[in-house]
Formats: sequence, structure tokens, C-alpha cells
Amino acid sequence: MEIRKFVFKRLIEIFVIFFVILTVLFLLFRLAPGDPVTRMVDPTMTPEDAAHLIAQLGLDQPIWLQYIYYLKNFFTGNFGISFHYGVTVFSIILNRLPNTILLFSTSILLSAFVGIFFGKIASWHKGEKTDTWLTLGALICHTLFLPWLALIMIWIFGFYIGWFPLNGMISPEIWLDSSSGFWLKFLDVAHHMVLPLATLFLIHFGSYLLLMRSSMLDTLREDYILTARAKGLTEKVIRNHHAAPNAALPVVTSVGISLAFSLSGGALTETVFSWPGIGRELVFAVSNSDYPLAQASFLLIATVVLISNLVVDVLYAYLDPRIKY
Amino acid sequence: MKRKLILFIHFFIILLLPLSCGKQPDHHFLKIGLHEEPKTLNIWLASDANSNKILSLIYQPLYLRDPETLALIPWLADGEPEYDPGTTSYTVHLKPAKWSDGSDVTSKDVAFTADFIKEFRVPRYYSSWEFIKKVETPDNHTVRFYLEEPKAIFLTRTLTSSIVSTKEWANIAQAARTKQKPLIVLINHKIENPLGCGPFVLKKWQQGTYVHLKKNRYFFGLGQDICGRILGPYVNDLLFKVYGTADVAVLALKKGDIDIFLWGIQPGYIDDLKQHKDIQIFYSKKSAVYFMGFNLRSPPFSDVNLRRAIAVLVDKEFIITRILQKYGTPMDSIVPPGNRYWYCSDVSRYGEGMDRDDRIKTAYHILQKAGYTWEEPPVDGNGRVAPGKGLRLPNGQLMEKFTILTPPADYDPHRAMSGVMIQEWLRAMGMPALSRPMAFGALLTQVKGRHEFDAFILGYGRLSMDPDYLSNFFHSDNDKQRGWNMSGYKNPEFDRIAEKSAKEMDPEQRKKLILKMQKIIMTDVPYIPIYNPALIEAVRKDTFTGWVETLDGIGNVWSFCLIKPNDKTSQ
Repeated sequence: MEIRKFVFKRLIEIFVIFFVILTVLFLLFRLAPGDPVTRMVDPTMTPEDAAHLIAQLGLDQPIWLQYIYYLKNFFTGNFGISFHYGVTVFSIILNRLPNTILLFSTSILLSAFVGIFFGKIASWHKGEKTDTWLTLGALICHTLFLPWLALIMIWIFGFYIGWFPLNGMISPEIWLDSSSGFWLKFLDVAHHMVLPLATLFLIHFGSYLLLMRSSMLDTLREDYILTARAKGLTEKVIRNHHAAPNAALPVVTSVGISLAFSLSGGALTETVFSWPGIGRELVFAVSNSDYPLAQASFLLIATVVLISNLVVDVLYAYLDPRIKY
Repeated sequence: MKRKLILFIHFFIILLLPLSCGKQPDHHFLKIGLHEEPKTLNIWLASDANSNKILSLIYQPLYLRDPETLALIPWLADGEPEYDPGTTSYTVHLKPAKWSDGSDVTSKDVAFTADFIKEFRVPRYYSSWEFIKKVETPDNHTVRFYLEEPKAIFLTRTLTSSIVSTKEWANIAQAARTKQKPLIVLINHKIENPLGCGPFVLKKWQQGTYVHLKKNRYFFGLGQDICGRILGPYVNDLLFKVYGTADVAVLALKKGDIDIFLWGIQPGYIDDLKQHKDIQIFYSKKSAVYFMGFNLRSPPFSDVNLRRAIAVLVDKEFIITRILQKYGTPMDSIVPPGNRYWYCSDVSRYGEGMDRDDRIKTAYHILQKAGYTWEEPPVDGNGRVAPGKGLRLPNGQLMEKFTILTPPADYDPHRAMSGVMIQEWLRAMGMPALSRPMAFGALLTQVKGRHEFDAFILGYGRLSMDPDYLSNFFHSDNDKQRGWNMSGYKNPEFDRIAEKSAKEMDPEQRKKLILKMQKIIMTDVPYIPIYNPALIEAVRKDTFTGWVETLDGIGNVWSFCLIKPNDKTSQ
């Protein structure tokens, strides 16, 4: 099958899956107990007030009618208005998403590069001290409890030594000062990013290292590596140019999917570091029955994951000449 | 070599970052830590505590509570309201005041606020204004409210509602009228620059990161003596920053990144904070009640004797000592003791001062007298306490397993843990109780929406000063879906007194009725009030001083009008 046909077929599959997700999301939120009005624990909110608000929000309509409006709005690009913020869901996502992408995508790319690099070295020195220490280090980092590590990082580097800010993404004092230039603001964001980035890096790089090590060990047993050695190539060339690119394929898949999921951010990381990302909003939206915000956030994640899967599949054809569509 | 150079450059940049960003501008900010970001600055939508705290510094009411006496004092109003019983009307005079854009605050704005709330049935406000028949404005500084009938909450709730500007909302209201769902248009209107007359105005809200308020140079109280206090604000800028966890907020306070964390802190932090010489801790009472409620709509909890026996078994002192670590007060009535004027101390106090054995014996006698029996009684023939088993109801049926719904521990560890303790105390009496944590939204749906529950532990963290909520909680009219009478309590005598108190305009006469209502409730115990947690707040005393303590803590408008930079820092 030629690649264009393959992509077309996958796009149809993606559309069907997406429609299923769209429906499941709608039902999940409507069937879950609670609604945005019930949560308002305020004795001044009378049952009549609550009924009036529910009617105005359209939540008193039959569920099938709500579903039709939901589909209509979605296919006309209207994601709705957040029940709690009172602004369009699109504007909330637009405000938070870049922050999440900045932190989480950077951390995944950094972890992947470092993980691949050290995974390659660990496998090359299999059974030696280098391998033992790198594998042990990776395992420890991979199993660390994120909120604990985050708080320890904040306590040591933010409070005790005081090199970095405790939390947040910017220092308001600097951004409110009209004399602050672009570079100072840029450095301010970078300065705030160091601790959350280091925390996420420590948590993630271990898994890439272990994945790369395992994949590389399989590759090193392949015949073409023996052939390369028989040709008299240097060890460095065999490792970096013959083994590593082939071994990196599963890591590429993993990075692709992780990058897609990075859009959902991380509620724990964003909460501990008060990073204004989409992860915290997602948790808030779900726990407060803010249907429009929760639905739109999940749909965004689903879309990116589905598309990134397709991209990874296509990338495979270029990375591995054996794969034909 | 090239790789080493790149590594060195990176290392150098990281080292330089703290230095380059260490530049401190010359602003004199009061930095306030919030637990969560405010959700909106639209006053009609704001239902979260953080939005309301910020809005309370921008929009102002006609009357405000004195922080010491808690009596209502004229704020935007000039003098006491004048009541005319003949026409059931109140006349209120306004102080000369300006909105933050320099235009005058007039009686037309007050009338507009009233009409606006009534026309659009604005939730949470409507119940305080619905009984206003009409509002007249004889002149720019006089407002006359005509009531449909005498209504006690007019003084305590209507006159303490914030007033909005006609200029800000008239066009928005006009646009809303043309829509099919006008209320949604109003509450979803994005307010970029709220027009208030309070001590501060919004300078900038950088969503997700900070809110910056600036001193309002048109604030009507600026330099004025109100209740013996010369008002400021004496601080030019307020900066609200978000701290997602209390751990980091406490570190920020110790480091000096913030001057106050505007959220109650857990008792576990107190010892650590006390060691810091620049930190001051405030302990305030809250206008709150945390309670256990029952479903009175069906047996077994429709029996008052069972509820009284459980009230005896619930050891409030134990919960306060062990779960709240002594930072709280036991509750005997639904009205908190901090609300001194309305609080009734002369109520039935179940199990007060008793040890565990005495509680079991007392509960045993209450139940035995009401016809309950046991397969293995909790008190043997010699009067010794033993584990009870198989409680049978007066009709001979074995008591079925029942659940006590609580919020989960990650939402409120105190209530979740109290549920577990109560479960154990009831099991010792032979009651098959099971404490079950449930997601907060789901819990409210079960209890308030569907009425499918046995018992629950909930709380109201922000009770109004007016005890009108007693009627909301226990009047039989409110026993309906989404109604606040969650227990399904019905008592015609209580209903009659509640209705009378709602119309009683003489505070002393009304007080008598309110006290009587509290006595009835504590005799029938549809709710067992358990505790009122102390509000613990910490501030830096080396930067700002003059915080005003009142019921519900120091984060009030008085504090922000009176705090001053510490002499040492201003030099």
C-alpha cells in the first residue's frame, strides 16, 4: 500500500475513534454524580436560584438534546464557556497551554536526549561498573515520588540555598517594572523553569535510559553489527552510526506519545510549582464539573495523541527502510 | 573541546540566572499568597473564596460589620437607616463617594443594583433583594427602599451587599435583555477593569500568575475616621500570588517572598513558624459549623431518641484534641459561639464532660428507655461497659448497616477522620455504622439532590453573621431537591417561629426567637454540631503591621485599609 492510501485510511480511523471519544466524554461527565451548581455550598443560594441557573446553563434540557447541541457546537468550533471562569474555554486553553508545552515538552526532549545518550553508553559497557551505576541511577530516578522530589528540590535549591524561585513562572515585580527588558524577562522565566524542569528531568530520563539500553542490547546481537565489525569499522562508528539509530526506534515512539500526552501537563508538578498550566485546570474542571472546560481539554489531548500516533507511524517508514505501507 | 565549551556555557548561564534575576525593583508591594487563583472578577459569577476576597476590596456595601463588636456600621452609607413602619420603608443616606474612575457614587447606582439583581434573578443575591417592592431616589444621596413586608434580613444581608456602578453594568444589562439567556450573558461577561469605590482598584490580572491591585485615590474612606479608625490604605500596591501547596507557601513566608498567606494553615506548621522571629501567627474564630446530619425521612434516624443517643456518643473534645490538635472549639449549637449576639449557650449539651464509659451508659439508657434492645448489650447487668452487638429497633428489627458519608481525606482530613472515629464509637454500642468517604460533588448530590443517604458529615465554612440560615437549614419548606434542609427536618413549631423571626424587625425580639429556634434544634438534633476549627493565619511582622483581627480572620477589608509598612522597612 502506498503511503498516501495508508494515511487516508488512518485518518478515517482517527475520525471514527475521535467521534467515539467525543460521545464517551459527553456521557461520562453527564453520568458522573454532581453538577456545577450543586457544589456551591452557600446557604444564600436557594433551590430556586439553583434551578434558575441550571436552566440558564441549559443543563435542564433532556440529555439527547444537550448532546445534539454539544455536537453542533463542536463541529462549528464553539467549545463553550467555562462555568466557573465565565470566559471561553478556548481562551483558557490558549492561556495555559503554551506554559505546559514549554515546561513539559522541554523536559521530555531533554530527558530523551540524555536518556538515549546514557542508555547507549550503559549498553555498550554491559556488565561493567558504568552500566551498573547508570542502570541503578536510572531505576532510582524512575521510581522517585514526584511530589516528594519536587518539595525536596524546592526546599534545597529554592529555600535553603536560595538559588531559584520557590514556584511560579514569573516574578511579578520584574514584569511590572517598566524598565525590565526582554532579556531580563526571558531570564526570569528560565530561572523559574529550572526547578520544575530538573524535577521532571530526573523523573523521566531514567525510563528513556532503560528503554534505550534494552533496545540497544537487542540491536547489538543483530547480524549487521557483526558484519560491521568484520568490515573493520571502529567501535565508536559501530555504536553511533549502526547500532544507536536502529535502537532508537522504540524510544522515538515513546517520545512521540509522551510529547502528545505532555499537553495534558501534570497536575502534581503544576500544583507544587504553581506552574500556570493546563494540568491543574483539567483537574479543577473535572472535580468542579466544569463540563465545557474538561471536555475541550480532553478532546485536545485525544486529538494530539491520535495525530501523533499517525505521525510516528509515518516516521517509521522513513527511519526504518524495512517498513512498507 | 567543543563539547566542554558548550557544557561550560550552560553551567555559566545557570549560575548567572539567580544573579541576573535578583534585581529588585523599587515597588513597595504587600505580597499576598493565595491557595488558588481567583476564578473571575465578575462579581455576579464569583462564588470562590479567592475571587470574593479580591472583589471585597473593590466593590463596597452600604453597611459593614465593625471588626470588634460585629455590629453593623455605616460604610458607604451616612448614618443609620431610618425605618418608617407606616410604609415599611427604609431611608439610607449616602456618603459623598466616587467610583474609581472619578465619577460620583449616587443613589441611582444603589437603585440600579437593586433593579438589576431582581430583574435578572442573580443567584446568591436574589434572596436578599426579592422582597424589595421599589427603590426611590429622592436626591443623589438618598435612597428609599420600600419592602413588600417587614424582613429582618434587609438590614443584615441586603444592606451589606455590594453596590455596583450603573456606568459599568447598564450597557451590559441592556445587551443581555436582548438575549434568550440573559443571566448567562451577565455572568459570562468578562470584566477587565472592575469599577468599584473600595480602597483598591485592579491594575493588572496576569491570569495564572498574579493579580495586582493599586490604591484607589478616590476611596471614600481615605483619611476618614470610621469607628475610631483613620483609614488608609497606607499601602500602594497589593500583589496576589498563587501557592498551590501550603508547604511551599510556608517556605515563601519564611523566605520573605510573601507577607501573608491568605488561607488557613494547618496546626502542623505552627511549631516551625513560631521559631521564626519575623513571623506572627493569628488565631481567629470562624463563622463556621461542622456537623453530623441524619436522614430524618425514614427509620431509623427519624427517631429522635436514636439521634440523641448518637449525640451523646460523639466525643467533640476528643475530635478537637486529637484530630484538630486543639485548634478548634466544640459546638453546642448551629450558630457559632463567635457570633456572640445570636449564639445561644442555653441548649441541650449532650455528653458534655463525660468519659467514654459514661457516654455509653447514658446512650444505653436513652435507647433502652425508647424500646431498643441488644443481642449483647453494651452495658451488662453489673453496670459494666462491654462491646455491644446486634442493636434492635423498638419494632424488634435488627438495625441495618448504615453509612456515614464524609468528604475524602484529601479534601478535608478533619471530617474524614471524624467520620472514622464516630463509626468506632457507634460500633461499640452495637450500631453497624460505616464511615464512607465520597468525592465532594457526589456527596452533595446524594445528600442534597437525591436525599439517598443515612448520615453525613459536612460543614459550612462561611456562614453569614445573620442567623437567617437556621430557617434555610431546618424550615420544612426547604426540604426539597437542592434545598438546604438536607435532613428533611419538619417541626411546625420551629417553622412558625422561623417565619415570625424573618419578619421581626426589632433585634431584641428577634434575638429571643432565634435563641428559641436553636433550643428546638438542639432538642430534636437533626444535626449534631461538632466543631468550629480555628482559623490560623501567619504574616511577616517585619514588613507590615496593623492587621485587624475579627471573626473569620485578618484577611478583611479593615486590615487592608489599616496596615502600614513596618517602620524598619520604610526607613
